[in-house]
Formats: sequence, structure tokens, C-alpha cells
Amino acid sequence: MIVFTIGFLENPSDFILFLGRLHPLVVHLPIGFIFMAVIAQFASQKPKFKPLEPFVSYIWLLGIASTFFAVLFGYFLSLSGDYDPDTLFWHKWMGVGVLLFIIGCYYSTKQGKTTFTYSKWAFTIIVAISIGITGHLGGNLTHGSTYLLEYAPNTVRNLAGLPDKVEARKKVVVLDSADVFLDIVMPMMNSTCISCHNDGKRKGGLKLNSYVNMLKGGENGAAIVPGKPLKSELLHRITLPENHEDFMPSEGKRPLTTQEVNLIEWWISNGAPDTGYFTALNPDKKTRTLAENYLGLNKKNQLYSQQVAPPKGKVIDTLAKRGFVINRLMNDNNFLDLNLSLSEQSLLPNDLILLLQLKEQLLWLNLSNSNITDTQLEKIGALNNLIRLDLSNTNITDKGLEHLTALEHLEVLNLYNTGVTDQVFPLLSKLKTLKKVYLWQTNITEATVLQFKKEHPNLVVDFRRE
Amino acid sequence: MSKYHNFMQRSLSRREMLDICKGGFGSLAFMSLFGGLPLLGCERPKNNAASNLYLGPHYLPKAKNVIFLYMDGGVSQVDSFDPKPRLAKENGEDPRKKFKVDATQFDNVGKILKSPWEFTQYGNSGIPISELFPHIATCADDLAVIRSMTSNFPEHTNANYFLHTGSGIQGRPSMGSWMTYGLGSENKNIPGYVVLDGGLVPPGGLDNFKNGFLPASYQASIFKSGPEPVANIVPKEDGANLQEQKLDFIKQMDQSLISKMGEEDAVESAISNYELAYKMQTSIPELTEFKSESEATKKLYGLDSDDPHKKGYASQCLLARRLVERGVRFVELTCPNISGFDRWDQHSNLKNGHERNAHAVDQPIAGLLKDLKSRGLLEETLVVWTGEFGRTPFAQGANGRDHNPSAFSMWMAGAGIKGGTIFGKTDEYGYRVVENPVTIHDLHATIMHLLGINHEQLTFRFGGRDMRLTDVHGHIIKDVLA
Repeated sequence: MIVFTIGFLENPSDFILFLGRLHPLVVHLPIGFIFMAVIAQFASQKPKFKPLEPFVSYIWLLGIASTFFAVLFGYFLSLSGDYDPDTLFWHKWMGVGVLLFIIGCYYSTKQGKTTFTYSKWAFTIIVAISIGITGHLGGNLTHGSTYLLEYAPNTVRNLAGLPDKVEARKKVVVLDSADVFLDIVMPMMNSTCISCHNDGKRKGGLKLNSYVNMLKGGENGAAIVPGKPLKSELLHRITLPENHEDFMPSEGKRPLTTQEVNLIEWWISNGAPDTGYFTALNPDKKTRTLAENYLGLNKKNQLYSQQVAPPKGKVIDTLAKRGFVINRLMNDNNFLDLNLSLSEQSLLPNDLILLLQLKEQLLWLNLSNSNITDTQLEKIGALNNLIRLDLSNTNITDKGLEHLTALEHLEVLNLYNTGVTDQVFPLLSKLKTLKKVYLWQTNITEATVLQFKKEHPNLVVDFRRE
Repeated sequence: MSKYHNFMQRSLSRREMLDICKGGFGSLAFMSLFGGLPLLGCERPKNNAASNLYLGPHYLPKAKNVIFLYMDGGVSQVDSFDPKPRLAKENGEDPRKKFKVDATQFDNVGKILKSPWEFTQYGNSGIPISELFPHIATCADDLAVIRSMTSNFPEHTNANYFLHTGSGIQGRPSMGSWMTYGLGSENKNIPGYVVLDGGLVPPGGLDNFKNGFLPASYQASIFKSGPEPVANIVPKEDGANLQEQKLDFIKQMDQSLISKMGEEDAVESAISNYELAYKMQTSIPELTEFKSESEATKKLYGLDSDDPHKKGYASQCLLARRLVERGVRFVELTCPNISGFDRWDQHSNLKNGHERNAHAVDQPIAGLLKDLKSRGLLEETLVVWTGEFGRTPFAQGANGRDHNPSAFSMWMAGAGIKGGTIFGKTDEYGYRVVENPVTIHDLHATIMHLLGINHEQLTFRFGGRDMRLTDVHGHIIKDVLA
């Protein structure tokens, strides 16, 4: 039988390997049959289930047939290598053992003679125990030995001789506190690589579950070569075309995003340190942004992804009566857009107090054509979530703008046809998130605005009509 | 009456009753949450409300308003935004020896015809634009030019319906109707969907601007050019009091009809249209009065031009800005009526015809873009420039070009658009699309996306089916989005 010709097939054909991959599929069938046989055999002891007795041997027979294929395919799978040899040895031979024992079960139940009674029960109990052990070893081979008890209570883990659970690293909230390896590189390995490159599975002889193992590498040499991204096999594999044979991750698992790949490349070319703060390596602006996005620290995204409470109906009601056009900005959140520019009513001090009650929800505010004053802007400056603010065609001046410098999300500010002067530029510099500002028909001078544009190349400043 | 059953509901069926109640609980909960205010800033007939849209657009919008500059007749792509040097090289040769020529509208295939105009690259992006549009060219960095537009119809009427309603057959709601149905209008005193009639109603007629099966209040209001843009906007009655009494009486009559017949779109829309028309008596004169505009602004648009067509189109463009400034959702501009040069449809005399048409629209459009931009309005306004199809790279007769639905160029600018982009590619003659073809459905899906609408989710049940502007088609053109 092929099962016993271990070591015979050194270069298995693709078809053999294909059958091997079916092992996880066929392996579960015998488990069902065998447990059914065991249960039926015990149950038939009771007079009520006595009629089951003649069928027990047939169930064992089904068990034999299915176990044979499970063992055969399992052997084929083992030919592809890549498994922890110790665990594989025990899994393989216990699988063969189970097959032999259930053959024993079959014969002892088939004869139905009293002389076989003891051996029948002995075989049955051995089968029930060994199938559990074999299955557990198989699970360890596929998922890694830490898989089963990863989330088990610490008492259970300690019983199994495992240490307490490792506390997950706290979510990074400031880029400065991010560790380059533990918070950036390792999470990518965890989410993408280690399901195949762990202590149990080690595809290609490679383990990516620790820094030391990454340096050690696998069959194709070191996975990473500090300072030499082009010589690092890991980077080579993840940057191949997705349909390339050697592309990683294989088997259609989620590839790393361009952002992640770029971060890994940056890390390797900066000497691949195993610890240390990300920002201590002086990343350039582009890399900082990559890391911010990867860690979910991007300001804008954060605001939009924050779920806010519904606004008070009464506030909305009153503001609508006061001439505000009120729109929800998206239907899965309560963010609002308020527009007073179409109203013929004038803005009252009380309206601003109502606006403050929408502090959380209010992202876009249009106060164009209104009678808002510099002092009233103090209240607007407290509307912390504002992203767009339109103050065009109003009488506000630099003095009012001073109240707005704390708006930490503001991206678009329209000051067209207002009284602002060159004094506005130092104030605009304080708005770190600002992307666009409109300044046509104001008292600014061209020389100053051009200087300001030079200092803020990423800010779009519209100040004239060409 | 059976043939009208799709349009008229006599009374509630059991199904409809359940349907309305089902929607009612959801919207009731929502209404109480928001103090009973229809949050999209519009009043819509209750029976046809897409209740999910009271919840706001599907996702964060980039644009709030759309200005649709309709280039009626079909601008020639190889003479405007898609330069083809090979046409000059092979000028005068037989196109049928070079490539497969499809059947054309007038079956009068001439020789390969080079563009009579030179192209120059403009702006930092270097988008090539022909001499026809020297003013629009100065806005090159704001434009996203799509060179790979396609249409399904080689003939004006169907192509117009297709562009405007997403279907080549008459009777579907126009895109402006869909947008206002979905989002309402911010201004309660002006209709949400306005067509500024430049002098030419496109082939296919007013069905290009109709509401189709959507409630009648979402059809376009057509403003004429000239001193009285909306007919009868000046009250004919002696004294305001008399008009008010008359309108009150009509409303009373209509409402008593509703109380007998049940909710009926035709009557309800009539009531709301009367109310809106009443408000328009004050809002429209204010809107169309350009006194508050500076001389520089008027000059920018070309209102000082000697060409009456340019002057007319300039005033339409300025009006379009004033409309979006006032929160009108969808504004479409049709082409000026230049006698002897029928729209952009130059089956002969391409050079004169395209030049006359371009002269009329070029400066006003550029003025509009610049004016919107400097006021910050381009931040929330999407400007779309397109014809219904393109023209052939070979001549019709000696010096014209025939219809070509296989490839044409268009551009978009403004809210959410990545300026300075060229998307799609045609073959070396500009005859067919070879890369990234874009359909009219894709264009509709993209416009809706920019307004925060998921084109697959804005539906209206008609004839037993949830209808969409994009029907079962449409992919968002991601490459032109900022």
C-alpha cells in the first residue's frame, strides 16, 4: 500500500499535490462515521436501541473506507513539506493507527462472538481517544500550535503550560508614540503573513512571527536584509505582479496595500530596526502620511468616521424657522449642513446659541450674505467640527477671524467680499487643516498673498478673478 | 381608462396601504427625531416620497448644484479637445481604405478631413485645446476632459433623450428631475430644475426636460432669454388682492377635489406649482435683474459683445451663476439660435459653423467658470459640458462632418473633479474609442455620485419595477474624481 512507502515519492506530481490539498475536505467525514459507530455501539447496549446492533459493523466499514482516503490524501499533503516534522510524524502515524484500530473494531463487531467482546470495547475506546489526539495534531499543523488556546482564559492556558495572554499593544493615538516595528511592521505580518509562516506551518521554511525569525529567513535566504530593500526576499515577493507564481501572500489571500508595501520598504531601507519610535527615524512628509493613514490617525477620516448623536429636534425646528436651510450630509450619520445664505431674515444672537447646540453635528456652515459680526464669530469659533465655512459677502474683518484659529478641522474657508486685510495671513497659518481659502474682493495686497502662497504651497488661495 | 393605469391611482389598494404604512413608521420615527422637518430642504408630495432620502444623500456629497452646458448638435471632438495629427497627414485620402467606416446618417462619406484649427497645450496640465476655445483654454487646469465618450444613437432625437434621460426612447424622467427628486431644492421660491433656453429647443423637444413618471413638480421650468424669462410673471390682474383671491379660490377647488379623489399627483403638483409661481413673481425679477453685477463681471462673461448670440449666451451663463448662488439644484443651458448655422450640427461648412458657435459660447463659459471659482461657488458646483455625440473624422460631402456616436469628447469642472485630467483615448483618427470607454450611464452615475447619490439606490417604482436613471447600467468614472 502506498501509505507504507514513506519517502518513496520524492518529487510528487501536481496531481498528487492536488489530491493532498483535498485532505482537509475528506478528513472530516471519517470523524463523523467513527463517532457515529462508537455512539451506536454504546447505545445498542440498552434494550431500547438493541435493533441498532446489526448495523454497527457497517458503520465501522464506512469509517474504514473514508479513513483510508483521509490517510492517503494526508500523506500526499505531507509530501509538499512545509510542516513541523515532529508534529507531522505523530499526526501521520496516529492517523495510520486509527485506520488499523477501526479495522479491528470492524472485525470484532462483525463476528458478533462473545470471545471478541473485550477486544471490541478495547479497540473502540482506543479509537475514540486516538482520533481526538490525531485531530488536535492536525489542527496544530494547519493553524499553528498556539491557535487553539489563543483566546482561552488564562487558567486554561496555564494548565496547558502556556504563559498568560500577551496584552495587545494599545492603539496608537499619536504618531509620536508609534513603535516602528511593533506598531507598524509586526501588525502587517500578523494580518497577512503569519497564518502560513508560523512555528507550526513555516511554509518555505520561513517564520515571520518575530524579528529574529525574519532575519533568519527560510529556504530562499533572509527575508529582510536591513538597509537593502532590493536584496530583501520579503519585499521582492510582495511586490511581484499578483499573478506571478512567487507572489506573496499566496492562495488568493489579501495582498498588502501599496501603502503597506511602501512602509515596509521604507523600514528596510532605514536599517530595519527591531524597535524604536517611528518619528525618531525622521520620516519624510510622505512617509508620515502613509503611517498616519495606516494607523488610522488621519484627522479628516477620523472626523467623518465618528458616529455622532442625532441633533435635538427642537433646535432644528427653531433654526429652520429662523431661515436656515438644514440638510443632512449623509444618511448613515447625523452630520449637518446649515445654510443661511438664502434667508431674508437677519441673524440674531440667539441663533448662535442654538448653533452651539449642534456643535458636534455641524460640518458645513454657510453664513454668506448674513449680518454676522466680528464679535459673533467667537461662537462660530467654538463649532469645533466645522469643515467648510462660508463667510462671503459679510462685514467681518481680521478681528473676527482671530476667533476662528482654534477650528482644528476646517478645510475650506470662504472670505470673498469681506473686510479682511493682510493681517489675516498669520491667522490663516494657524489653521493647520486648511486646504482652500477664497479672498477675492477683500483688502489684501497682492504682494503679501503671493508671499503667503509661497510659504504654503499646499494651500489653494483664490484671491483674484483671472 | 385601462391604458392609464400606470399613471393614475384611483384609490388605495391593499398592497399600497401596507406599503405606505410600512414606510410611515420609519419616516415617523425620523420626523420626530428632526422636529418634523423634511431634511432635504424641500417639500415633496407625501405619496411619492422616497422616504430613504429624507435621511439625506446616501453619502457625503462633493457638489450641491449642477450646471449642464448642453452643446446641442454634437461638437466635433477632433476639432475641439482630441487632436489627431494623422488626419492632417492623410487629409484628402479615402477613409474606407484606412479603416472600417460605419453607416452614417446622410450616407455621404467624403475624404479624411483634417482639423481646420490648431491645437495648443494649456495650463500646468498641458491639456491640448483647439483655437476654437481660446477662453475655455485658460481654465484648462480646472477641466477633466473625457475623450472616450460614447452614445448608443447616431441621430439627434434619440441621442438627446439618451443623454438627458438615460433612455433613447421618449418619456423617461430627465436627469435634472431625478436630481431634484432625490435632493430637492434649497430655494423654495425658485424651481429646483431650471432650463435656460438659449433660443434652440433640442431635437426631441420638451420631453428632454420632462419629469416622466416622477411627480410633476420635478419637471424643468424653462426660462426664456430676454426681458420676460418666465411667461406671465408680471401679474395680469388689477391689484395684488384680486390675484390672491383668485389663487385662494383655485386652491380651495383643488383641495376639495383631492378630498374626494384621494392623493393625486396631478392635482397636488398643480397646487404646489401655483404656490411656487406666486412666489416666483417676486423672486424671478430679482433674479434676472443684473443691476447689482459690476461692469467687470458683465465684461468677463461677454455681455458687452457685438455678437448678439454671444451676448445672449453670456446673459444665460450669468443667470446660471445667479441660480446656483440661490441654491437651485440643476441648471441646463441650451444653445443659441444662430441662423444658418444650426447648433453644432455642421453637416457642411464645418469651419464657419463651428467658429460661429464657439465664438458665441466660449467666452461666456470661461467667464462662468472664473466667476464661480473666485466666489468659491465652484467648490459646490459641478459644471458639465457635452454634446449628445461627436462627429466623423472624415468629411460629409466636401467640408462638413456627419454624426459619430462611437467617440466624442466632453469635460467636467468644479466640485469633486480632478482638474487638469484627460481620461480615455480614441484611435489615431478620433473615430472610435480604444481605451476606457465611457457611456452616458457612466456619466449619469458620476454626476449623481458627486451629489452624494448612489445611482443604484435612487429609485422610483413605476410599472411594477424600481426605475433608475441609470437603469441597470452605470459605473462611476473614478479617474476624474479629485
